[in-house]
Amino acid sequence: MQRQRLSRELAKMRNTPPQGICVFPKDDNLSSLEVKIVGPDDTPYKNGVFTLEVLVPERYPFVPPSIKFITKVYHPNIDDNGRICLDLIKMPPAGRWKPTIGVEGLLIAVRMLLETPNPEDPLMADIAEEFKNHKDDYVRKAKMYTEKYAC
Amino acid sequence: MSGSANRLQLLSVMSFFINTLKNILHTMLQLLWFGKKTITNSLNIYIKTSGGNTLSVDLDPSWDIKNVKEIVAPKLGLEPEEVKIIFAGKELGDSITIAECDLGEQSILHAVKIKTKTKLPDISTDTIDEIEEQNTRPLCGTLNDAMFSSEDSTRNSSTTSGSDLDVSGNSNLRVHFFVFCPTCKTLKSGKIRVRCNFCNSGAFTVHSDPQNWHDVLEPKQITGLCENNPELCANILNNREPTFAEFYFKCSEHISLGEKDEAVPLYLIRPNLKDVPCLACADVSDPVFVFPCSEGHVTCLDCFRQYCVTKLTERQFWQHPEYGYTLACPAGCSDSFIKEIHHFRLLTEAQYGQYQRFGTEEFVLRSGGVLCPQPGCGMGILADPECTKITCINGCGYVFCRLCLQGYHIGECQTAEGDININNEGCLYNVDPTRAAEARWDEASKVTIKVLTKPCPKCRTPTERDGGCMHMVCTRAGCQFHWCWVCQTAWTRECMGSHWFG
Repeated sequence: MQRQRLSRELAKMRNTPPQGICVFPKDDNLSSLEVKIVGPDDTPYKNGVFTLEVLVPERYPFVPPSIKFITKVYHPNIDDNGRICLDLIKMPPAGRWKPTIGVEGLLIAVRMLLETPNPEDPLMADIAEEFKNHKDDYVRKAKMYTEKYAC
Repeated sequence: MSGSANRLQLLSVMSFFINTLKNILHTMLQLLWFGKKTITNSLNIYIKTSGGNTLSVDLDPSWDIKNVKEIVAPKLGLEPEEVKIIFAGKELGDSITIAECDLGEQSILHAVKIKTKTKLPDISTDTIDEIEEQNTRPLCGTLNDAMFSSEDSTRNSSTTSGSDLDVSGNSNLRVHFFVFCPTCKTLKSGKIRVRCNFCNSGAFTVHSDPQNWHDVLEPKQITGLCENNPELCANILNNREPTFAEFYFKCSEHISLGEKDEAVPLYLIRPNLKDVPCLACADVSDPVFVFPCSEGHVTCLDCFRQYCVTKLTERQFWQHPEYGYTLACPAGCSDSFIKEIHHFRLLTEAQYGQYQRFGTEEFVLRSGGVLCPQPGCGMGILADPECTKITCINGCGYVFCRLCLQGYHIGECQTAEGDININNEGCLYNVDPTRAAEARWDEASKVTIKVLTKPCPKCRTPTERDGGCMHMVCTRAGCQFHWCWVCQTAWTRECMGSHWFG
């Protein structure tokens, strides 16, 4: 039953793809998806193609899908294991997930996070520090990561 | 030769007999079948009279109300013109057929003697006439039309009028009201009924049709006239306020078990007349659950169940001061709590049992009580706030300390590691082996809980950390305290700086 909603969402994304996001189902029952996100322009992630893994739980959409980066990213809100700090992907009360958001909304939010990191709620404290106080260093390192892992 | 001729004769005689027998049987069967048909077509109805008597009559659904009056009037010693028939808040007009009234087997009609209109209190005669002329349609029909917008009403009227309202029950009919029936113990289609809010008599006619669910669910919205004893109900109320209609619901899928056989209206479950897709699975189904938020978010019933089960296992139901243990719209709309908690009866018996248990526990904790920590007990105890020695009086009898939820002790509570290995000295002999086995099981589960969990610093709900950072948010819906897994105190900036990830 829940797969029905997901297959509708995927069909919609195939017909009207969101900017810079591609989704491929990894298995027939759609429990895991592979996602490619193109690094937004005017960011150190430009020209990079980042791979993400989305696991869709049985109780989706009442329980949010879990999302993580497979490609290494230098970002204040993304850690070494690709975990993303975003309140939208967590269940209330800790997070702000709602069944109306959907996979597409979530992926758009993740791409937005690449554009505008949130150093006030960091996952990588030192990168956040760098982002705030030594922006040049941050940009240089993020570009280097992008070239090394995402191109 | 002669033998074979005889045999032929015998055969022809036998075939004649067989044929006649066949014919007789056939006509008998036909008669029987015909008799049966008339029986299935009739409807056993009770008619309550103003004198308080109840008549049982068999009616044909194709008859009209005039026929009914002709049957009932002689039994009351009246002429048919002197009787009016009231059903579900409406006087039924002569030309309406039984089939149009949506009567179930053993429904109750009310027969009242028409009184001289000058005797009626306060209401002028012409209004009465007007009402009688207009409101000859049964209430079940008029409410449907009133409840939905004009575009839907065409679809409604096409199903409520006409011959498809057969007593045998047409499954293609759109159901308009859904109820939780305590007899069938499940979701059923329901039917609306009206009675006097003062004397509870069903011989009651409404002055106007309810326009929406508010008119039906809230008391004292629609005025009417109690036909049972208008003077009495008006006089006792001292003519200070009019008599009001009280609406109630019955299950339409089992034969009525009398006047007390009522069902709870599940008014958030509605026919999906506008083909709205479910917000969770995007399927268009019928009926649907419409959340009481300003947006009116819709889920299918399967997704509603799924939503409830998810929230229940996460203990994320909310203890609402007025409504009880309930849920809000899954889209996060404000002010959208489900008021009628019988909607959670859509869950299975086991899930509903869990809902009730969690609801009770939450209520006890909210009221400043404690839950007995003994495995398998969990009795809720409301004790004096200063008292630390708690005895599980109505439950298992365990005596425990309110602060550490361990067996009662004098002095400071022991730390987590110290108190697991108590009670294992001095009683190595004289122990009942079965009791010993039980005790070990309990100890084992205690150890498991101790190893894997830490209590929330605020409400002491045992919390398991299955990964992620050290920033914990208490999962109990009423608590939601932000705390640090390392410090076991409130989460601070410092925790974030020094040991956010361990």
